Amino acid sequence: MKDNLTPLMRAKVFVKESPARMAFIIAILLYVATVAVSPTSLNANAIGSIIMMTLLLSFASAGQTIVLIGGGMDFSVGAVMSSAAILATTIMNHRDGYFLPLLISALAMGAFVGLCNGVCAVKIGLPPMIVTLAISNVVTRMQYVLTQGSPLGYVSDAFFRSVTTRLFGVQFLPSIILYAFIVFPLVFFLLNRSRFGKQVYLIGNNPLAARLDGIEVSRVQILTYVFSGMFSAFAGILGAAYMQSVRCQTFDEYAYNSLIAVIIGGTALSGGIGTYTGSIAGSLVMVVLSNLLTAMQLSPTKRNVVLGVLMVLLLVLYNREKNVRQ
Amino acid sequence: MVELRDIHKHFDAVVALHGAGLTVAPGEIRALLGSNGSGKSTLIKILAGLVEPTGGQVLFDGAPVHIRNGRDARSLGIATTFQELSLIPMMSVRDNILLGNEPLARLGLVDRKSADRRIEELLDRFHIKCDPDTYVQALTPSVQTMVEVAKAVAQNPRLLLLDEVTAPLHYDEVELLFGSMRELAAEGVAMIYVTHRISEVFTICDTVTVVRNGETVAQGAVGDFSTDTIIYHMTGQRPEAAASHAGSETGGREGEPMLDVRNLELLPKAKDLSLKAYKGEIVGIGGLEGQGQSEFMRALLGATPFQGGEIVYDGQPRRFRSPAAAVREGIGFISGDRNREAIFALRTVEENLLAGKVAKGRLFAYMSARSIRAFARDAVGKYAIKIGSLRHAANSLSGGNQQKLVVARWIAMSPKLLLLDDPTKGVDIHSRREIHQILRRCAQEGMTVVMSLSETEELLDNADRIYVFYEGHVNAVLSGAQKTPEALAAAMLGMSGPGAADAPSPSGPHSDSLSGRSISRSIPGAPSPSGPHSDGFPVASSPGFPGAADASAAMSPATGGGGGKGATP
Repeated sequence: MKDNLTPLMRAKVFVKESPARMAFIIAILLYVATVAVSPTSLNANAIGSIIMMTLLLSFASAGQTIVLIGGGMDFSVGAVMSSAAILATTIMNHRDGYFLPLLISALAMGAFVGLCNGVCAVKIGLPPMIVTLAISNVVTRMQYVLTQGSPLGYVSDAFFRSVTTRLFGVQFLPSIILYAFIVFPLVFFLLNRSRFGKQVYLIGNNPLAARLDGIEVSRVQILTYVFSGMFSAFAGILGAAYMQSVRCQTFDEYAYNSLIAVIIGGTALSGGIGTYTGSIAGSLVMVVLSNLLTAMQLSPTKRNVVLGVLMVLLLVLYNREKNVRQ
Repeated sequence: MVELRDIHKHFDAVVALHGAGLTVAPGEIRALLGSNGSGKSTLIKILAGLVEPTGGQVLFDGAPVHIRNGRDARSLGIATTFQELSLIPMMSVRDNILLGNEPLARLGLVDRKSADRRIEELLDRFHIKCDPDTYVQALTPSVQTMVEVAKAVAQNPRLLLLDEVTAPLHYDEVELLFGSMRELAAEGVAMIYVTHRISEVFTICDTVTVVRNGETVAQGAVGDFSTDTIIYHMTGQRPEAAASHAGSETGGREGEPMLDVRNLELLPKAKDLSLKAYKGEIVGIGGLEGQGQSEFMRALLGATPFQGGEIVYDGQPRRFRSPAAAVREGIGFISGDRNREAIFALRTVEENLLAGKVAKGRLFAYMSARSIRAFARDAVGKYAIKIGSLRHAANSLSGGNQQKLVVARWIAMSPKLLLLDDPTKGVDIHSRREIHQILRRCAQEGMTVVMSLSETEELLDNADRIYVFYEGHVNAVLSGAQKTPEALAAAMLGMSGPGAADAPSPSGPHSDSLSGRSISRSIPGAPSPSGPHSDGFPVASSPGFPGAADASAAMSPATGGGGGKGATP
């Protein structure tokens, strides 16, 4: 039966079988293309930088993955990251010893924004995409209000080094990998080994059945947004550490990028399906693709056009048959 | 004018029709009768173009036709009023009636004036007193139904299909509808009329077709039929079959009931429902479709709020705010509307089995992969669920096995009270039996089971006591020797149970005597016995004549093939 499939359908089938694997293959192909376009990009330092950006995006995608699986959507990832980054430079202000207060305040900020998202989207029942966009807009404007448009300060040197040092002196091992040792297992636990995660999958697949099954659907869905806010905030302070100093809206594009990364990773927009491994692979694709576009010397505007077209293509490729059931 | 010949239809493995036929001539009103799931709705849907037959012929004016969709049906002059109504709630009455049927002026614009005139005529004809600009959702169900009829008639059909239109109608509206139907018949419109109210058949219909298990078993002029013969044809059940319903009286009724529901009011469906369930007992809830059973179950679970009355669970009055709260207190719920309300189709077999365990407990507790796997394996083995692998998606299983997943999910949690809302809907006979065996075992181990079933035979076989709901009331409680098909059928049709005759005048509507005597009450909304043939109604207080014995199954889906269609909306 598989023989009479059109190539597009075949691609769909393959993608559905293992989106994560597919994403890794795409990433490798894209990287090969990059090297072909610009052979100088094949060096340990460049690989290290790809890993750095991939991990940063994958941290930002962690919450997005959870929200999407639970049947929601979070467009405030970028705004929360930017705000957390500003918090980082402001609180640290180039001084050591302020990591803990920063971490706590950033996570609290992220959790609060997530709570607002969750309550509006779940309890009040507004469309998640609109609500999170609106709230992220508020969050973005707050950055300008609180900083007069020009945030001050730098992250501490120790924090900067904790992200950018090359481990064992090896160029392609940036120390941000150490943070991945915390984030990845945490997300794995949340999604795959905790009762919460199992509930998220069930809710995303069939909220009505989940409710009648005795799951507190609203509470769990709101929690997914809270987690998303916290993961975004965490990614934001790491982003600040990498950039050392930030402007307002520095990480705004992570809202779209995280969403695309998660979709490339095989998480269904309609909820109930997805893995974090897929999102990590999706992040890698995004970063390598962005590298390729840079290597092709496309202007940022053209890059955005290409990314936009890519997103549409992906949606076509990944769109699943509607669940029309009798 | 129209003839259906040897129609076959199967939905995957479920056979809905095999060898059903039907004819109707201009000006003829034909009753199409059958129990739930006998295939009559599928026949209607074939003519309406919603379902394509897998075999057989549809002849229209003597020529074979293929009705592929609603448009084909419409162009042949077939209009349908659907039981579930085809109105769009957020559109006005006017727009609903005109939908797809707008009188056009030049340039393809809607001719507003002649449209208004037509609407006015129609509303007048059916005595619908409403502003054509009100939204349909603001109307009462009976007015909505009349609008649905008006909408169908607005198409000037040659063949009008009326599927259970009278169910939500009041007596005077039924009369009105019948008047219009006679007018239409005089104009030469052919009609096929589906109803559960057999007395109506004698009032309005010229001819009768009875289907059973997807086959046409009898047809002829209405004069050749009596209520008894109709019921006999509908059920095909031999009277002796009743003997096997001796019942499994096991539930101990000592002490406090596990569940004591008093005068529960659930607007708009249920007005007054009382029920007691004891430990180790399987309590059945019967009734025609939509008599408040689902609402009752959901109120117990806390899924919908109730307006009046009291629920005493495990000795304490409770009002659960959410199913989660009820589940925490040891209640489990199994829905028969599998796809919508129970199965997580995209998730694995394992996760589906685990859903009960997942719902209950600390949110961030660690769930080890190994213990989960062991739990799922155990359940699969214990309940003989046929699966490919625990990792396969749940929708890879057959309907029966999917339902077993859902049942196993809860049984494994050993709830104190298990609620089941038509759990065997669309489930094959074999799985059905297995599910009932599992439930019986659980009851014997002390679980309280409250189960609504649409199939009466199943209800009689598996419930210790049966509460029969009718129009939002408990019309009868059958237990012991009273658990007979005829008593159940009578109670389902709104007549007082057989106990009524010998029961002392009801000491209040809720006197729930547990001595095996049914309660009875007069039903204000009972099908009007004022039709000319009301004397022919199967009054089950005269048990012993064969027709009535079969009446029990009159409303039951036929085994096997039946359920599948019961599940279709």
